[in-house]
Amino acid sequence: MESLWQILSPDFLLRNSLYASILVGLACPLVGVFLVLRRLVFMGVALPQLSSTGVAFALSLPMWLNAAQPEHTGHREHLLAFIGSTVFSLGAILILAFLERRQRGLSEGRLGTSYVVSAALSILILSKNRYGEVGWLDLMKGEIITVSNFDFALTGIALGVVLVVLGVFYKELLLVSFDRAMAITLRKNVVLWDVVLYILIGMTVSMAVLSVGPLISFGFLLIPALASHLFARNLRQFTVVASLIGGLAAFLGFWAAYSWDLPVGPTDVVVLGLLYGVAWTGQRAFRLLRPAQSRPPAAGANVA
Amino acid sequence: MSDTLITLNNLSIGYNHRPVLSGISLAIMRGSFSALLGTNGSGKSTLLKTLLGLLSPVAGRVEIRASADAPVVFGYVPQTTVMDPLYPLTGFDVALMGVYGRVGPGRRVPSAERDFVRECLAATNAVDFSGQRFSELSGGQKQRILIARALATRATILVLDEPTSGLDSAATHSLLEFISKIHGERKLTTILVSHDLGLVRKHAQQIIWLHQGKVLQGSVGELLTPERMAEIFELEMN
Repeated sequence: MESLWQILSPDFLLRNSLYASILVGLACPLVGVFLVLRRLVFMGVALPQLSSTGVAFALSLPMWLNAAQPEHTGHREHLLAFIGSTVFSLGAILILAFLERRQRGLSEGRLGTSYVVSAALSILILSKNRYGEVGWLDLMKGEIITVSNFDFALTGIALGVVLVVLGVFYKELLLVSFDRAMAITLRKNVVLWDVVLYILIGMTVSMAVLSVGPLISFGFLLIPALASHLFARNLRQFTVVASLIGGLAAFLGFWAAYSWDLPVGPTDVVVLGLLYGVAWTGQRAFRLLRPAQSRPPAAGANVA
Repeated sequence: MSDTLITLNNLSIGYNHRPVLSGISLAIMRGSFSALLGTNGSGKSTLLKTLLGLLSPVAGRVEIRASADAPVVFGYVPQTTVMDPLYPLTGFDVALMGVYGRVGPGRRVPSAERDFVRECLAATNAVDFSGQRFSELSGGQKQRILIARALATRATILVLDEPTSGLDSAATHSLLEFISKIHGERKLTTILVSHDLGLVRKHAQQIIWLHQGKVLQGSVGELLTPERMAEIFELEMN
């Protein structure tokens, strides 16, 4: 318990890392619910990986251009990584979503290929960069040990923008996701709202990748949404509970990692997995204990 | 049934600039109850999507004559099977979407509009189960919620895409009686896509029959006579 009081202390040395982790944990599920609802789970895997390729690309660009290398812990490096991550995330999601709409070829094949090629590209780019193995691999793995005030502010502002836009335009984003045909008959600009949603997803993914790495971002995007879906009775519950699960997992993961000297990112994902397991077991138990008459009607039952 | 609301003049419909059906010319009168009939693959869905603006015509135009005081609004009731059960939405959440066309982007739905949605749910006898998860409702209950949603749009034209598919005969009968009642009370122009000739004969006034790449239009009395149907079916058999 002593470690808990330590990380809760305002003077805690790694407080920015903790706050950034919780911020990502709270924000990722908010866009993750749309990935789950639109049945784009595989995009949740491919996007963080593509985003991290953007980080590797951006960080290597000065070397390729024979420019001076930025300081490893400097704001310039983080800003460069942020730009690379955002450009790759947004570019990838817009192209993948466009191909999805055209319904040409196999969607899983496209996403799988994007994932594996971008993962390989990241490794290749960093292996040819003499600075890569010093500190950038940590950034790619999501070792959030030191987060400067600038980095934290950047993360906070970007995720704040996502939260506000998502909150303000929730009904439009819901309508075009749930019933596109209805949205068109109501004269909604469905392409515009799709682009808005994809930009929000892209921004969140790029910030999450910079803070916690691609694997962990994928975990935060999807597992809280899947766990919340087991219980949610409406969309508001679904979104809020998913976000809270993400925030809770981020906090518990950080606490466990700090207490037992473990890497934060993988610990977060294991905690998410545990929470999902508890939620699933709880839901099964609840279904078994619930009286038969309060269960929903069987599929195919028609009562006009 | 006084004036023409929708006119199709030599319209070609299809996908990716390839026509599925050409030379469609017909008129739908304001306040009428029309049934769109045809076998699978006859182009019913393509015509419906073109009418709703979901597909652009390959050639020709769909002319919709709005009245001076209000724009034309489609109250679309899709097949319940196209609604993804993954969305944790209550029946009320789904019905509420009907007012989204009138509430601007970024604005909260005003309480007056919420009250109006409750009125629409009451009109479709769906209040009791509107708090339940939409995906867990029966086929008939879902249809009532979707009709309430269509009414909540303050629709000029109610478009129902095979609303009875997947329902048993009692539920089908009850639902069609209900749609007829709504049509009669609100004088809503209604377009119903159906396979069921018996129901269409009982409820519709006008028939649009797609067969063999042609479109036949006429009243129930004209098209659903035994002689005319035999003629049409013989054509299809041949």
